[in-house]
Amino acid sequence: MIYDEDTAQQIRMCAACPKMCRHVCPTFLAWRSESPTPHGRALLLHQEIIGTRQLDDRAIDVLYQCLECSHCLTWCLPEIDIADIVETRRRQLVEEGRFPSGLNNMVDSIRTHHNPYKEPHEKRTSWLKIPKNDGRSLIYFTGCTAAYRENSIAQDAVSVLSSLGYQVGIPKDEWCCGSPLLRTGFVEDALEQARYNVEILNSMDAEEIVVTCPGCYRVLTQDYPKYGLEINKPVRHIAELLQSHLKSLPEFEIDGPVTFHDSCHLGRHSGVYEQPREVIERVSKGALVEMERNRDNAMCCGNGAGLRTLFPEHAKKIGAERVRQAERTGAKYLVTSCPFCKNMLESQAKDRLIVLDLPELVEMAKKRSHVKTD
Amino acid sequence: MLDSKIKTKIAKQLEGIVGAQYITTQETDTVLNAHDAWPLSEAKIRAGEMLPLADIVVFPGSTEEVSEVLKIANKNKVPVTPVGGGAGTCGGTLPIYGGMQLDLKRMDKVLDIDHKSMLVRVEAGMVGIDLEEEVNRHGYMLGHTPTSMRASNVGGFLATRSGGSMSSLYGKIEDLTLGLEVVLADGSIVRTKAVPRHSVGPDLRELFIGSEGTLGVITEATLRLFPIPEERRFRSMAFVDVHSGLEAIRRIFRVGIVPSVVRFYDPEDTAMAMSQHFDVKEGDSMLLLAFDGAAEKVDHEERVSVEICKENGGKDFGDGPAKRWWAHRYDMYYPTKFTTAGFSIGDTIDIVATYDKLENVYRAMKTAMEAHEAFVMSHFSHMYQNGGSIYMIFFTSQPDAETAWATYRKIWDDGVAACLREGGTMSHQHGVGLSRSTYTEDELGSSFQVLKKIKDVLDPNGIMNPGKLGLGVQQ
Repeated sequence: MIYDEDTAQQIRMCAACPKMCRHVCPTFLAWRSESPTPHGRALLLHQEIIGTRQLDDRAIDVLYQCLECSHCLTWCLPEIDIADIVETRRRQLVEEGRFPSGLNNMVDSIRTHHNPYKEPHEKRTSWLKIPKNDGRSLIYFTGCTAAYRENSIAQDAVSVLSSLGYQVGIPKDEWCCGSPLLRTGFVEDALEQARYNVEILNSMDAEEIVVTCPGCYRVLTQDYPKYGLEINKPVRHIAELLQSHLKSLPEFEIDGPVTFHDSCHLGRHSGVYEQPREVIERVSKGALVEMERNRDNAMCCGNGAGLRTLFPEHAKKIGAERVRQAERTGAKYLVTSCPFCKNMLESQAKDRLIVLDLPELVEMAKKRSHVKTD
Repeated sequence: MLDSKIKTKIAKQLEGIVGAQYITTQETDTVLNAHDAWPLSEAKIRAGEMLPLADIVVFPGSTEEVSEVLKIANKNKVPVTPVGGGAGTCGGTLPIYGGMQLDLKRMDKVLDIDHKSMLVRVEAGMVGIDLEEEVNRHGYMLGHTPTSMRASNVGGFLATRSGGSMSSLYGKIEDLTLGLEVVLADGSIVRTKAVPRHSVGPDLRELFIGSEGTLGVITEATLRLFPIPEERRFRSMAFVDVHSGLEAIRRIFRVGIVPSVVRFYDPEDTAMAMSQHFDVKEGDSMLLLAFDGAAEKVDHEERVSVEICKENGGKDFGDGPAKRWWAHRYDMYYPTKFTTAGFSIGDTIDIVATYDKLENVYRAMKTAMEAHEAFVMSHFSHMYQNGGSIYMIFFTSQPDAETAWATYRKIWDDGVAACLREGGTMSHQHGVGLSRSTYTEDELGSSFQVLKKIKDVLDPNGIMNPGKLGLGVQQ
């Protein structure tokens, strides 16, 4: 058995729970069925553990119809972390060669191109314009989504960091952090990316590393150490860094309320809730309005843990619902601090909301204000 | 179970109605859809037993699709088990004869809010908490707060004739429903008009509320709304015995005060639920009250209620215990290591009786259930002018599955027998499902034949949720 006794007991409890968290499960919303729900996943695993029934192909699909967003954990009095339990079984499924074939392209792309988008590796950060600066040295680990899909986040991050006086360095040969691989069970492939990144990052001369992607942040700060890979510099998410420079950030008169979407990796998985809010409050002069579901009760955007790769239409349904929740606040701007979330939310918001990542909002403030940011 | 050729044929026809993505014959889906929150099902799941499975699960998206699905089922005489949130506590959605589970979760929309009449028209598959949150956004509340609120659906509320913790003031779901849309076994769609009262013959709406899918599938309802009260105030009083507490409750209602919450815990339940947090004397029974409304009204109701309680020996515990219960009212629904260990099983027999019988029913049931070495604790809740409900909660732990399930059944048999003997009714809000199915005839007496005749007329092929409510039991 891959689970210890305590975890098996938790799975058994979850399998027979009267569904106290199902109402916030994004995949329940997307499918409106008992199958892709926390207790559904637990029931399949419980039956497997005690030998009642083995996982069939459909059961494996169900285990991959999970965002690993841990929203269920917020509502779980016995604190059963079904996301972690699912990920553990996914690792085993990959070892058994029983993962959904829809993941093959993503895995192959990361193996070959070091990004999940099949984009040429050499173009990863070559386009980024890095201003010269003599300030404190800092490495910006861009992550795949900002590098290939959300370029303005990466460029604005560099611009904002430079404005704050940092000498920004970009790893010459950064690889995917491995998050998409880890979350879907491909540990060995992820570790290959990880080892390379650690070597590159450790060889660079800088005071710290900053990331804009919460997926990267979680992997660099939590998963790498778990697998014995230590980065020799502190890693901060840009929300944390910006919050530490709050008084130096520009302010501007924004033309509408701003609401904030907590990414699961930054919020529930890393406990960073207040820093991005403080940054938004500062630069927008108090224009933040909260969604009903915020902080540890925030709904996932629908992109996580391979769901968008395997079930894109259902992922979009979830993203669309999160946009509806944002619209309900009356906000004009939907800000997040995750390129992957931004990508999904913007695709669903169409022209109903202006969707920005945190560095983009700060860059906007910089351009529209006349306050010096040094 | 269906013959594989028939199953394939029917599945194909259903695909034509709802679309291929909204029907499944995969065993994994039928396993995951099989159970509701019946403690016996949950215990069997933990013990590794397989529950009865449907052959097909179908997810219609509209009343018209429900109608077409039922026409096919009726023509082929396939059992149909309607499923809402799958949160019932009596096994009402277990597909014991296989066939089709008709899952309404896709029908989850608010269709209209009538602000002038304070009504909401909603599809049956909407989860309770989603509906509550939506009407809250408009300044209303449903007044219906079952503990299963996060999991149960509107259709399930209605099918089981459910009640929430504030039913004393706002009523049970039958009091909160003005209009219904129901699809009968032959696919015909029936609508009862949403009006506050009428005198046009018997109220057919009432026929379907509590019918547990045996007479048709509820697809839509028009429910009452209440403005969110200006204030909800809590008060708690402890009594030296059950009798004096019940007397206080009875007198509060008698003077015309209707609290929103009335929960009275017997000494065992008080010890279990309160003594860890409050300094309650051993053997005392705790009464929790809440009053809703404008401040002046609440002031008056609270003051008079406290006076009555004190006249009956009540000791004032302020708002603490009642407030704490409100904040944690869903917590007892979660599994714990204690309640899920080994072959443990706990359940609640939620009976109802008039005041003249209530205390006798309580004592008789407690004696009968404890005879099987069950731990029994109770609270009187959902109290009204003429009587109220008792939650007879029991817990048993046995060395093996066979003994556990047999003991569970004996506790139920003897508990319900004692209730009926003393003039109580065997369910206030949980319904009948499978757990009470065998007692229905005894409970209803001569009126059971009327129910059977209605069933035979509306569902001549006996396809609608057979085996539940004591109807359509197959040998």
